[in-house]
Amino acid sequence: MNNLGKFTIGIFLTLGVAWLAFVVGARSQYGDLSPTSQSLEEDGSVPADADLFPKGFSGLAKQGAEEYASLGCVSCHTQQVRRVEAGFDVERGWGKRPSAPRDYVLQDHLLLGNSRIGPDLANIGMRGYSDEWLHQHLFQPQSLVPASICPPSPFLYQSSDEPGERSIRSPVSSDEASLQFLRPSLRAVRLVAYLQALRQDYELPEVAFVESKEKESDASSETVEETAPDASFPDWLSLQIEQGKEVYMKAAAGGGMCFTCHQVNGSGLEGQFPPLAGSDWVLGDKSRLIKIMIHGLMGEIEVNGVKYNNVMAPPGIPPGSLSDDEIANVLTYVRNAWGNSASAVSSDEVAAVRLSLKGRAPMQMFTSSELTQPAQ
Amino acid sequence: MNQDSPDKQIDRSAKFVFCFFISSAGLWLLAAAFFAYLSVAKLTDPFFLSTCEFLTYGKVKAAQVNAFVYGWGGNAIFAVSLWILARLAQAEVRGSIFLIVAGVIWNLAITFGVLGILDGHMSGHEMLEMPTEVWPAMLVSYLVILFFSLVLHRSRSTRETIAPQWFVLAALLWFPALFLIAWNGMELDVARGTLQTVLSMWYGQNLIWLWLTPVALGAAYYLIPAILGRTIDKYYLAIFGFWCIAALAPWSVVHHLEGGPFPMWIPAIGTVMSIAMVFPIAVASTNFHSTAFSDLSKVWSSLPLRFVIFGTLSYTVSSYIGVVFSLPDVAKITQFTIINEFHFNQRVYGFFSMIIFGVVYHALPKITGREIPLVAKSFHFWTSTAGVLLLLLSYLIGGLTHGVLAGQPALPWASSVIDSLQPYFLITKFAFVLLGFSQLVFVLNLWKVIFPNPFACCRSMVKEVDA
Repeated sequence: MNNLGKFTIGIFLTLGVAWLAFVVGARSQYGDLSPTSQSLEEDGSVPADADLFPKGFSGLAKQGAEEYASLGCVSCHTQQVRRVEAGFDVERGWGKRPSAPRDYVLQDHLLLGNSRIGPDLANIGMRGYSDEWLHQHLFQPQSLVPASICPPSPFLYQSSDEPGERSIRSPVSSDEASLQFLRPSLRAVRLVAYLQALRQDYELPEVAFVESKEKESDASSETVEETAPDASFPDWLSLQIEQGKEVYMKAAAGGGMCFTCHQVNGSGLEGQFPPLAGSDWVLGDKSRLIKIMIHGLMGEIEVNGVKYNNVMAPPGIPPGSLSDDEIANVLTYVRNAWGNSASAVSSDEVAAVRLSLKGRAPMQMFTSSELTQPAQ
Repeated sequence: MNQDSPDKQIDRSAKFVFCFFISSAGLWLLAAAFFAYLSVAKLTDPFFLSTCEFLTYGKVKAAQVNAFVYGWGGNAIFAVSLWILARLAQAEVRGSIFLIVAGVIWNLAITFGVLGILDGHMSGHEMLEMPTEVWPAMLVSYLVILFFSLVLHRSRSTRETIAPQWFVLAALLWFPALFLIAWNGMELDVARGTLQTVLSMWYGQNLIWLWLTPVALGAAYYLIPAILGRTIDKYYLAIFGFWCIAALAPWSVVHHLEGGPFPMWIPAIGTVMSIAMVFPIAVASTNFHSTAFSDLSKVWSSLPLRFVIFGTLSYTVSSYIGVVFSLPDVAKITQFTIINEFHFNQRVYGFFSMIIFGVVYHALPKITGREIPLVAKSFHFWTSTAGVLLLLLSYLIGGLTHGVLAGQPALPWASSVIDSLQPYFLITKFAFVLLGFSQLVFVLNLWKVIFPNPFACCRSMVKEVDA
């Protein structure tokens, strides 16, 4: 301890051993990972014509990674799905499988993060958010997710009264008269390209998709439910009903996830969620239903003489993301399933209602009294 | 003039350097407090300053950490290490002018680094956020300071070395090695894939364990016996504690990578070594506390010692909590939560900074011959204590809430998991305001003691340099 030279060698030796393990050792263990196919041949080789994963980012997305780092998004968002036994990440729907070291080999700039004040973003591109939704969220997260504490980034956008090329609707426009538009800057475009490119939607030889509970419930629903659309329907109507049913049952991006509350057989849940089968609302005025589908519904509502009080966010994953077609189809389905029989809903009708609601903020839900009042 | 006791001569030789480093450290402390307030104010109100691009939450957070660790931590380490080494070597500080020039470069580098972060040139790796352009300046200036510290130590009058010297020297020597390893893996020969994350985690945590921690431990080993006038109890354990930290800490820090896309042996080793860390923690704790608690009334009446003992107690408690949180079953809940903030603030605030405050209050009157008023010192102690405890408790309880709620997939993220953290964010905001005032009082008094009359002081400094 008294000889400075020996002391220095000693303390560098202890540090050096750890350095050998975590820096040199880890590098020689997996520093040369390369993209591979989703599954390997029996002899461990990559099939000749297989697609290789992970795919590299586009140039725009790579620039987006730099913007992401520069703005400091990494201080609240991780980009890693933990192993099933080490956390709840897969259960929360943040990924179909745990992340593996190989997922990151083509990224120049690793932004795994270490803190989750915001949700994990390893698979944000897989969750079906539209570019417009992401832009609106970057501009002002609270307009889409009211409870969010993600800071708005208005400096990435230019506001204007006139819609221009590539401009999007401002999420803070309150009514039709003061409709605002946003022109995303190049930086915002890069950022959204990067977010959309974050997806681990392939399997790797070392890690397969986790069987999700959602799939199990899907499978069980298949057996409970009476299926085949009535043969007496014309082809276009059966097609619409079939597609509508898909939306009703789908609990992933592009779906409505309706069955989770209204149940597979449209019965609802006593005291909590109103039934759709035989419901006076479902079989009644179409425009009311379309309004609910676009903006959601909250507060007390009386269905078939029974009162319910709950909140229905605008359906879709993410909320309010269903297209006119999807809304038309799913409404047509619920109006013609489980013994219901009412006229079909067309996407034009949905578009017309949507236009009439143009000024309304996306998350401003309807109340039943608002819907039952005579139109002004 | 030369009839003074040797200690006085040594203090006089260290005066210029010590005052320079500690007064710049004070400024960084205030900068960090300002950024800390901004960052939690942004958590409680996302619209706060949201139109200002230079102050996004992520940038402010990184600026706070870097200002705190490199600005306050670095400068305080230089000041305290040089003084302790000089006192223990019974040798005068030499090369003041080079030390000051290096210190100016170090401070300029950190200033540009923090401005670079705010301007958006951030790397996204914890503790390495500052743009790579400032790294060479940091390394070179550091090496100059290291060189003169080693020269100082080599010129010691007794061959025998004691615990404070080991800890301080080891910390000074470890930093450039860690920094070079990180530089190599991040910039010169870039590691692929998640190796970057392994490296940045290893570097960032080691910076706390092998740079800030040993200096604070060394200062405690120096100050407790010096003020109490008794030897360290069970001193023969200290050497065991030192080598345990040296050998185990660089292995234990990677337990934070639990569950992620890394080979499983990395966090597994980290966990095992974290558990082994109970030995050095127990050694330091025994040394400090069995010495100090044998004369509690003296500890209580000496304000510098009160700061130091708060720091060592905090070190003991937080390190044991850290061991518990490294167990995989617990990490499952606490990983990625605001418990991270608990760890960081506990280490650099509750432990490192409190001990540095103690050293400053002990050394400053000896070096400058002027005292900080007792009222100001007491105010600083009590507000710091209250602020730190409030901060740590709310991060601890808030972090557990965060983890438990996040583990229930049925709860929506923003509207229930994060929303239930709001009360804790509010408390931490209050705690940071309190700490900000506390530090402001500290730094104002520090500057007043160092520069009682700015103009006269400049003249005397010029004279000293000439001499």
